[in-house]
Amino acid sequence: MTGDSGHELRRRASQQAAVAELGQRALAGTDLDELLREVCEAVARELAIEFASLFELTGDGRALLVRAGHGVPSGVLGGAVASAEGLPGYALRADGPVVVRNFADEERFRPSDIQLDLGIVSAMAAPIGTRGRHFGVLAAGSPDFRSFSGDDATFLQSVANVAGAAVERARADDLVRDSERRFRELADSAPALMWMTDPDGHVTFVNEGWLRFTGRTLEDELGATFGSSAHPGDREALLDSWASAMAGRDEFRAEYRLHRRDGEYRWVLEVGVPRYEAGEFLGYVGTATDIHERKAMEEALRASEHTFRELADHAPVMIWTTDAEGLVTFVNRGWLDFTGRSLEEELGATWDLGVHRDDARAVTADWERALAARSGWEREYRLRRWDGQHRWILERGAPRYEGGRFAGYVGSATDIHERRTMEERLREVYEREHRIAETLQRSLLPERLPLIEGIAMAARYLPAGHGEAIGGDWYDALELQDGRVALVVGDVVGHGLRAAAAMGQLRNAFRAYALVESSAAEVISRINRLAVSGGDDTIATVLLLLLDRETGELSYTSAGHPPPLVIGGDEARFLDEGRSVPVGVSEAGVFREATAVLEPEAALLLYTDGLVERRDTPLDQRMDELSRVAQRGGQGLEELCDRVLAGLLGPGERGDDVALIAVRAEVAPVLRISVRLPAEPAALLGLRRRLARFLHAAGASEAERYEITLAISEAAGNAIEHAYGPGDASFQVEAVVEAGELVASVRDTGRWRESRGAHRGRGLTIIEGIMDGAEVVPEDGGTVVRMRRRLAARVPA
Amino acid sequence: MTTAADVAVELHGATVVARLAGEVDMTNAGYVHDQLVRAVPNGASALVIDLTATRYLDSAAIALVFDLAKRLRRRRQALRIVLPAGSPLERVLTLTEVGSVAPIHSSLESALAG
Repeated sequence: MTGDSGHELRRRASQQAAVAELGQRALAGTDLDELLREVCEAVARELAIEFASLFELTGDGRALLVRAGHGVPSGVLGGAVASAEGLPGYALRADGPVVVRNFADEERFRPSDIQLDLGIVSAMAAPIGTRGRHFGVLAAGSPDFRSFSGDDATFLQSVANVAGAAVERARADDLVRDSERRFRELADSAPALMWMTDPDGHVTFVNEGWLRFTGRTLEDELGATFGSSAHPGDREALLDSWASAMAGRDEFRAEYRLHRRDGEYRWVLEVGVPRYEAGEFLGYVGTATDIHERKAMEEALRASEHTFRELADHAPVMIWTTDAEGLVTFVNRGWLDFTGRSLEEELGATWDLGVHRDDARAVTADWERALAARSGWEREYRLRRWDGQHRWILERGAPRYEGGRFAGYVGSATDIHERRTMEERLREVYEREHRIAETLQRSLLPERLPLIEGIAMAARYLPAGHGEAIGGDWYDALELQDGRVALVVGDVVGHGLRAAAAMGQLRNAFRAYALVESSAAEVISRINRLAVSGGDDTIATVLLLLLDRETGELSYTSAGHPPPLVIGGDEARFLDEGRSVPVGVSEAGVFREATAVLEPEAALLLYTDGLVERRDTPLDQRMDELSRVAQRGGQGLEELCDRVLAGLLGPGERGDDVALIAVRAEVAPVLRISVRLPAEPAALLGLRRRLARFLHAAGASEAERYEITLAISEAAGNAIEHAYGPGDASFQVEAVVEAGELVASVRDTGRWRESRGAHRGRGLTIIEGIMDGAEVVPEDGGTVVRMRRRLAARVPA
Repeated sequence: MTTAADVAVELHGATVVARLAGEVDMTNAGYVHDQLVRAVPNGASALVIDLTATRYLDSAAIALVFDLAKRLRRRRQALRIVLPAGSPLERVLTLTEVGSVAPIHSSLESALAG
């Protein structure tokens, strides 16, 4: 081994160690800016090179900002170069490391201003992130000639990959923060008491409802305060069960007395579930429900049952007998004391004497039926007491025989009024608690569907009709940047707060993924990875459908979900392709996508299995019924929802919750556009779709549609290009067709500037050449471009 | 959502034909430019961009054509465009004088014949 190669090996080892160390720092959640600085330092150190800089691609992808650097003058930090130019731009396009031996001989691109200023002779650059998701570029430069090896380039790319991982992690953290913020907004408007903790069990959040209830401030409630407002007598048991739930990260459930602001302790039912993001345990989220009334009643009921047994033992029992014809032949003293009547009054055909009007018919019918069958009975009804009050009594009757011959009945009755009333009130309280759970579920669903231009929608959610079960069904609709509309309907397996929480998480994840992915199958794949890695065994069936309003083209993926129904004029059909397993089942799940075309005026119905599944009927038969009911009757979407629910569920209890959403591309022509859009290039595609729809409705020819769309988009493109910074700027587009003339305006908050470079003025040339009139004027601190164009008269077909 | 456009390349002798389908605007002009540059080997004599299936071009896309023309000229390679008669794009290509750097043909046969 020569001395040189020994030196070389040591250098490689040192570089590898540097990459590994940066990787660990990235995983440890080091502050992003600090980490990016360390990245630059490591590059400079390991390559023994003067300059290292890290460029970040701006939100619109047009420029690279110097986010961190080593050796570069402070004035360079925060400076920008165009993303299409220079070595950094070239590295982005190459999607791999690029080496420049000497800028003087470079033909692939021109050096950027920064390179010229620093007098860089040799350089390397590597992209951060993968194609389509580039974050920026990592570059190293030397003012002296350097001959970089392939290993040097590999090292730079490895460091860039670490930086990419750190950025991705930081963005994921942002996403978590964002979803927590949304949860807080939701929680504060929810009727229930809600809280969150960190992984150590410290309270990090309680909602407005909680603060209103306890009368304490947010500061009082945060930190190591779990259980501090519990009744001293309940505290120990509460903390024990909390500790054991925490230890196993299990669902937590406890009933205890919570201190209310007025000093009273109220019974609450507290339920907490562990929450995870990308597989990491983040703490608990929970709710508390006031169950004081129920608890008090259960207490009273137990007490009254006790009293009842005592009373029954001592109270005069009410006894009567009848003959074989059913005529009353005897009542005892106890009965007479109760009714306050004389024995004479009670004898004979007196079965409904003193019986409450609402119970009389049933009592008589029961009695006649029992008599005919000579069977015994037991029933509860209201009987008038001597003081005029109708009291609930429990009456039992048994046939009696004398010498083997039926001789009539002997019966006894007891006053159960207190218990019966208590039970009724208890049932009411249970029902109210169920309604609270249901409200919580509804509050997790979009309160009303978003208004999406060119689409009519109607939706329903029906909770399961029993117990405290909150289901995991949901629906959602949102408009994507490319102008398509995403429709989602899903069903998390299981019930209760856990399913509702998982549902909330999936729903938010869908919103996020649908905005960044363009294919239904890809969105579902990501959701699947999230569900599988979540660690809380979330399994859900989901249908995602992307609809192009303009063409009616649909693409959809069903993860184990019942197929959507298309309802045309006189036929209905299921879209039953694109089927895969539910999400959360297997990490290796492969999700297929199918396409279809929605005919103009046809309606789409998405639903959950609660609508079609019934134990006593085969699924095929229920699907046929759905299809039949859906196409029978009017075409209004609200009416369609009501008809389908009434036709398939009928009266009685539902065993499962049901969500459904009906959609139709609107036929009403859009003859005016007024829309504010973010000043981002991605907004252009959606704008073109809107304009195309609008111009089509206005009767413009194909060439007119293209030309006018182009002119308005050029004005919009200028607004976007010269917006004051990514993210916070927007522009306004108005267009209307009146008397055969299109009048449009694009308004922004900046100055009109033509693109720099050799093609100066092309945007304005196009606008002026295409439109009959165009003017660019400053207005209200911004610029407005006004345009008009007369549409050619259409020859009637 | 950066690729609403699709570039399909085939060779006709020494001429590269690139069919551009979909929509090209400021969000994907860089990508399309890149694809087209890569499609032309040093040995090719000409690049024909077929716009028959192109639904939308904006000024960034037009700038791309001018840039490409300059690049190819340095390498002594010709750039020609196919645009069927009656295409909605016709007026805009005329307005921006694309024909001055890349002759416009109404059919692929005519463009291949040069």
